[in-house]
Amino acid sequence: MVTVAKLIDTTTCIGCKACEAACQEWQDQPFPVGTYDGTYQTFPDVRHDFWNLIKFNEIEHADGGLSWHMAKFQCMHCVDAGCITACPAPGAIFRRDNGTVDFDHDKCIGCGYCITACPFDVPRLNPITQKVYKCNLCSDRTAVGLEPACIKACPTNCLTFGARDDLVQIATDRARTLREDGKASAGVYNPAGVGGTNVIYVLEDAAHPEDYGLPNDPTVPWTVRVWQGPLKWLGNAALVGGILGTFFHYIRFGPRHADEESS
Amino acid sequence: MTSSVNRVERFAFSERAPHWMAALSFVYAALTGLALWTPHLFWLSDVFGGGSTIRRWHPWGGVVFAVVLGLMFRNWAREMKLDADDRQWLRKAHKYAVHDEEGLPEPGRFNAGQKMLFWVQMIATLLLFASGAVLWFPELMPRTLRLAAILIHPSVAVVSMGGIIVHIYMGTAAVPGAFRGMIQGWVRPAWARSHHPKWYRDITKS
Ligand code: HEM
Ligand code: SF4
Repeated sequence: MVTVAKLIDTTTCIGCKACEAACQEWQDQPFPVGTYDGTYQTFPDVRHDFWNLIKFNEIEHADGGLSWHMAKFQCMHCVDAGCITACPAPGAIFRRDNGTVDFDHDKCIGCGYCITACPFDVPRLNPITQKVYKCNLCSDRTAVGLEPACIKACPTNCLTFGARDDLVQIATDRARTLREDGKASAGVYNPAGVGGTNVIYVLEDAAHPEDYGLPNDPTVPWTVRVWQGPLKWLGNAALVGGILGTFFHYIRFGPRHADEESS
Repeated sequence: MTSSVNRVERFAFSERAPHWMAALSFVYAALTGLALWTPHLFWLSDVFGGGSTIRRWHPWGGVVFAVVLGLMFRNWAREMKLDADDRQWLRKAHKYAVHDEEGLPEPGRFNAGQKMLFWVQMIATLLLFASGAVLWFPELMPRTLRLAAILIHPSVAVVSMGGIIVHIYMGTAAVPGAFRGMIQGWVRPAWARSHHPKWYRDITKS
């Protein structure tokens, strides 16, 4: 099966929030009551019941100019996903054949390890159900050949859905066009530190992804790698070694009896 | 302290009760923790009511354990201080392990190995409690702390469980008579003289 992806061309996003509304609608999540901080951003952050957020950032330039960045934010469906590495409940977070990172909420135990391991700080715990939620790239839609709800709703074609390889090409071409048009630092955001993402951005200023609310060089944290890698082997060796060691000590040296006593 | 000619009181009820509360809560915390440690042991979660259930109750098992260790600290901290003899004993602990005890200083109520276990568990419990609290409420804790806790908590748990494996072995198979000391509270005089001579002399002096 081909790996699918979502392309977000921030240069054509007008910040209308149609994708936010479409996401709530399709996921059947009522529009939550939350904090409104007086900017063009719906909530301060993604929530367990709000997976798709247009981040608004006002950037002042050295020459006094001003940019308004609108950047859609959600799960990046990392190729090397920290959440999957961290998850202790078999099958609770899994990768679909099309590359999407999805949750099976019957299996999720709500430990929150994925929240810690995600380099993008995406998953969120629902305090009532004690399970974790995030964008699943509308896996129920893509399974039957439909595009995700956000893509369908976007009025400017800033969002594209399709085969990942095609979208990388489109993004690269688009960034080149922008550079030719004088946007010297335009580029593609598809961070290599997590093996690339299945959500790809075209940024007008690719040298400063943090200006769009995206981490500069995201990687799966080394403590997560050590914990789920070498530490498991060391720990298992120590525990099994301890059990076998005491057993063989017993059959080699036997108990230490008191001088005149046996029980 | 000698309750009859044939029996020496080893542990009072106020010592045995915290010990067994610690044992029960530790085994619960360890087994539910191990369920999350590796997918090969995730079946343990079914034994204790399912993944969501152990996620909810493991931390409480840990809290009970930590509180009870506080009681054990109050009971024993003073007696567990290592003296010069203990340090000497530790240097020759490998000889104790192979029943060649010549030249080993005579232990008091606790030998130096038991004392080390006590301090290792005290420090481990502090670390488990601190890192466990961080893992308990991921959305309230700064990410750097969580990334440290995710490494510290299982590492310390392994050290702690390793110590307890040896402890259980010593308390059951390796030292016959010790188990009754912690269950019923008394041991035979010969046992006391053999395993804890300095202590036996102290309590029989009067
Ligand atoms: C002292 C208080 C303790 C607290 C507050 C605590 C809390 C936690 C929390 C919140 C987790 C994450 C998953 C879950 O909630 O089940 C966890 C995991 C774990 N805990 Fe504890 N715990 C404590 C003590 C212990 C003890 C005494 C042991 C056993 C020696 C232990 C062993 C483990 C292990 C092995 C894991 C899994 C680590 C992994 O996934 O690699 N914990 N603990
Ligand atoms: S962005 Fe976070 S939640 Fe999404 S796949 Fe990557 S690690 Fe997992």
